[in-house]
Amino acid sequence: MHRIVVDAMGGDHAPDEVVRGAAEASLALSNAEIILVGDAAVLGRLLPRMRHDGARVRVHHAPAFVEMDEKPAEALAAKPEASIAVAADLVARGEGDALVSAGNTGASVLACARRWTLLTGVRRAALAAVYPTELRRGEKDDPFSLILDVGATIDATADDLVGFAVMGSAYAKLISQNRRPRVALLSNGTEAGKGPPEVIEAHAALVETTELNFIGNIEGLDIPRGVADVVVTSGFVGNVVLKMLEGVSETVVRLARYAHKERLAWRLGLVALSSAIDQLKEVTDWQQYGGAPLLGFTHPFIKAHGRSNARAVQNAVKVAHKALAGNLCGNIARTMAELDERAQRRAGSHSDVVGA
Amino acid sequence: MFRRISKLPVRIGERIGLFEPAAPTLAPGEKLPKHTFRWDLDKTYLRTEFDSLKDLAKSAIETAADKQAYPGATALLRALRQDGNRICIVSGSPTQMRQVLAAKLALDGVEYDEFVLKNNLKNILRGRFRALRAQIPYKLPAMLQSRINIPAPSETLFGDDAEADAIIYCLYADLIAGAVSLHDLERVLTASRAYEDDAQRCLDLARRVPPASAVTRMFIHLDRRSPPMGFRRFGPRLVPVFNYFQAALVLYEDNVLTARQVIFVALEMLDSGQYALGHLATSVQDVIRRGRMARESALRLTEEAADAAQSGALSGRTDLPPFEQIAESFRERVRELGGTVAAEVAPVEPLDYVRLVDEEHEHRHRRRRQGIG
Repeated sequence: MHRIVVDAMGGDHAPDEVVRGAAEASLALSNAEIILVGDAAVLGRLLPRMRHDGARVRVHHAPAFVEMDEKPAEALAAKPEASIAVAADLVARGEGDALVSAGNTGASVLACARRWTLLTGVRRAALAAVYPTELRRGEKDDPFSLILDVGATIDATADDLVGFAVMGSAYAKLISQNRRPRVALLSNGTEAGKGPPEVIEAHAALVETTELNFIGNIEGLDIPRGVADVVVTSGFVGNVVLKMLEGVSETVVRLARYAHKERLAWRLGLVALSSAIDQLKEVTDWQQYGGAPLLGFTHPFIKAHGRSNARAVQNAVKVAHKALAGNLCGNIARTMAELDERAQRRAGSHSDVVGA
Repeated sequence: MFRRISKLPVRIGERIGLFEPAAPTLAPGEKLPKHTFRWDLDKTYLRTEFDSLKDLAKSAIETAADKQAYPGATALLRALRQDGNRICIVSGSPTQMRQVLAAKLALDGVEYDEFVLKNNLKNILRGRFRALRAQIPYKLPAMLQSRINIPAPSETLFGDDAEADAIIYCLYADLIAGAVSLHDLERVLTASRAYEDDAQRCLDLARRVPPASAVTRMFIHLDRRSPPMGFRRFGPRLVPVFNYFQAALVLYEDNVLTARQVIFVALEMLDSGQYALGHLATSVQDVIRRGRMARESALRLTEEAADAAQSGALSGRTDLPPFEQIAESFRERVRELGGTVAAEVAPVEPLDYVRLVDEEHEHRHRRRRQGIG
C-alpha cells in the first residue's frame, strides 16, 4: 500500500478543492492511503461532505500553513508546524511515501530539501515542469514535454545537468509511458560546442551514455515544437524559459480577446476556430497532468499548480501513486549508479593508460 | 397421503416464489429475544451490482459460491446472533432467489430467524409494476409484521445507501415509537405511490404494532461511498459506515459487542485481503472525526482488546505484528487528530417523511436519466 501525504492547506483553492481531489483519489486508487495534513477541525468538516473511502483517507493535524505569497524561508521559520513542514516530516519519518502539494512552491521545495535526503549519486534536486508541444510522445500520446530544472536551484554544473537528464528521462519513461524519451540540453545552438562550459561538458558526458536517448542540444524555439521529450537546463535558465512561455501563451489569449472585440471578420474567424481551440485546450489541459515533480530525493514530491482544482489535485495524487508503483526513485538511483560505475571504469582505464 | 397431496400446491407455490412461508411467531412459553437485528442483503451484506441490466442478469444467475459478502459482515452477523439475539433479513431480492441466498448464508455459517423476500412474481401476475421498484410499501409492512409477531425490547437495523433504507428505517423507528401519526403515514404511503391495498395493510399493521422506542441504532453501509454528511439529518441514531469494522466499533460503544467480537470482525476484514491494519486504524480515526465514537471509547477498546488478545483472541495469527504494536498504531491515529473536538451530530428533529420520499424519488429518477442505475 502506498501512503501519499497531501498538504491539504496549500493552494489558491485550498482546502476545499484539495480535499475534494484527495477524496476522489481515494476512490480511484485501491491500494493507496491518502494522508491529509492540515487543520483537523476544518478537514473533519469538509471530508464528510464528499464522496470518499473513510478507510483510505486519514487526517494529520497541522495547526498552521504557509500562505501562497509568503517568503518561504521566513514562513517556515515562523511556522514550524505549517502543514507543508509537517507533511514533509511525515515522509521523512517513513510515515508516508510521497508528497503532493499545491501550495507555495518555494516553501514546499525548501521543506523537502531540509528534511529529505538526496538519492545516491544525485548532487542536486530538480523541479520539473510540463509544457504543451506540437509533437506528441509515448504510449499515451502525451502532448507535454518535461523541462528541468525550473527553479529548485539557480546554477548547475555539468554533473548536475547529467543528473537532471537521468531524472527527467526516468520520469518521462514512467509517467508518459515513453520507452525511450528523447533527452536534449537547452543551449544557444544545436552544435556540441555551443553554450557555456557546463553545457559543453554535460554534452560530452551525455553523448557517451547508452542509458539515455540523448539527441544533443536544442534551442529555445524547439521547446514548443516538441523536438525533445525532456529538456535539460539549469534552474535559472529553466525558470526564465518557463515564465516566458507562460507569458507568450497569456499574450496570445489576450490578443485573441482583443481581436474578438475589434472586427466582425476576426470574430467570425475565431468562432470558426472555436471547436479546434476547445480541442487544443482539452489536449493541453495542464490539470490532467497533475503537477510538476521535484526529482532527486528518496521520495517523490509532486508540486501541483497553485490554482489546482479537485481534478488537478486528484491527478497529482495519481502521478505520485504511479511514481511509487513504478519505483521512480529506485530507477533514478540505479541509472545514476550505472553512470557512476562507467565513469569510474573510464577513469580507471585512463589512469592505466597514463601509468603504462 | 391426502394431506401430503393437498399441501403440494402450497409447496410448489413456495418453490417458484409465488407463496411466502408464514412469518415466524413466538412459540407458547418462548421468551422474547433481547435484541433484534434487521439486515438488508444486497449492498448491505452481499456485494451486489444491479446498476445495469447486465449486472441484474449476472446477479440472478450467480450461484451461492459466486456471491460475495462484504468483509467483516459475516463475522459481525455471527457475533450479533449470540446471546439469543434475533436476526431478521428483509431483502428486496425476489422470492425466486431464496434458495441461492439461503445457500449463501449457510455457506458463510450465518444463522437467521426470519428471511423475507419480495414477491415480485405475484406483483407481475397482478400487473402491479409500480410495486416492482417500490421499497417503502414493501419493506415497512414486512418489518412491522415481524415486530408485531416478536417485539424485542431493542432493535438495530442495517441497510445501505443505494435505496431508501435510511428513510424506511427512520420511519419504522419513529412509527413504532409513536412519533409518526397514522395520518402522516398515510401521506407518506401516498407519496411513495403505494397501491391502495398495500397502504391499507401497512396502516393496519401500524395500528397493531405495540408502541416502543425500540430502535436504538441504524447503520447505513456506504456502498456507493455517498458523502456521510447527507445522513446527518437523520440524527445520531443513524450511523453511515464505510465498512463493518466501523459498525463493530459503534456497537462496542453501545455495549452490544465485546472487544473480542470486534477483533473477530477485524480479523475477517484482514483475511479478505481488501483491508490492511492501516485501513482499520484509519477507520477508527474516521468514526471519531465524524463524532460517531468517543476517543475514550476507542482507547478503552484498545485496552480491552489487549486483554482479549492475551487470552487467545489472536492465537495462531503469526501473520500479525505483536498486539501492542497494533494498539499503538491505532492510538497514533487518534493522536494525529491533535486536540480537535469532533463535530457533534445534532439530535434528530422531527423528519418530514413526505419531503424525504419526494426527494428520494427525484434522486432516483435523476440517476436513471443519467444511466447510473
